[in-house]
Amino acid sequence: MTDCGCDKTKAELEEYLHGELCREDAADIREHIANCADCAGERKVGEVLTEAVQRACRETAPEDLRSTVLARLRALQAQH
Amino acid sequence: MTLPGRITVAELESALMITPEGDEPTPATSATAAAPVPERAVVAPATDGAAGEAGADEAGPAEAEATPPGEAELRSLFEEQALPFMDQLYAAAMRMTRNPADASDLVQETFVKAFAAFRQFQQGTNLKAWLYRIQTNTFINTYRKKQRDPYQGTIDELEDWQMGGAESATRTSGSTRSAEAEAIDHLPDSAVKDALQKVPEDFRMAVYFADVEGFSYQEIADIMKTPVGTVMSRLHRGRRLLRGLLADYARDRGIAVPAGTTTKGSKR
Repeated sequence: MTDCGCDKTKAELEEYLHGELCREDAADIREHIANCADCAGERKVGEVLTEAVQRACRETAPEDLRSTVLARLRALQAQH
Repeated sequence: MTLPGRITVAELESALMITPEGDEPTPATSATAAAPVPERAVVAPATDGAAGEAGADEAGPAEAEATPPGEAELRSLFEEQALPFMDQLYAAAMRMTRNPADASDLVQETFVKAFAAFRQFQQGTNLKAWLYRIQTNTFINTYRKKQRDPYQGTIDELEDWQMGGAESATRTSGSTRSAEAEAIDHLPDSAVKDALQKVPEDFRMAVYFADVEGFSYQEIADIMKTPVGTVMSRLHRGRRLLRGLLADYARDRGIAVPAGTTTKGSKR
């Protein structure tokens, strides 16, 4: 590696966070992050962002939707 | 997956359990283009374990090894396997349509289409991804047309200047970054939802599929019918935009995100 690893880490951080890197690349980045406060901070922001989206997107379908769907499925089946 | 929901399902199930068993199988009516067309899925008596949960008073599954499942079996299999994804599909539908009424309609249509095509679904493959593909198609083909806002989704070629401060959000120094993480972590869900709604549709859904559903890039590519490279760029830009919007929100509310977050140069 010619640079200290920041370039590679910054370029591939999203793929790292989303589990899309091969084992070797992921290991390189993990190792770099362990020794680079800057990249560790960047990873932290990425993780927190994911968690925030997960929290915000949690929904429960309305109860009447469930019964409506069931009724429609039965109606569909009855047509056959 | 709320418990009350399941109980209601079971109650309805027993209340309406009047369909004859062993019907001649009819071909699925409207096969969606999305459905892979494998040979007829051999539906083994997989309902065994879950029978007590879905419909306790239902007779045990017939030994239907060679014969395809009858309509009633198919429906109970569908209800047992697909309906548990309702909350998730609804959550995605809310991000797509941005309002509860349209989201409910979309989920309803998705289940109806999925049921009609269920014989083509290959058991053992990814049902969740299959349902999402149907929902995404349905959304594009019907609901997008009646969206109040003009379609603002496919701007993969969004210019950098349009990304505004969001692009530069990644160029912050170490200390402001921890403040940024802290701020994002404490934002109310409503702020995150608002910000998501401002992200163009295709970017938003890429973020949703990856971050909320944990789909792989390849799965997202299949759902959105787009190359993996496009998924990557939508995800990256969606997340960058979101990050910038959240930083703006936090700063507007006086939450301690140093002004440097979106303007300052990097120290690398």
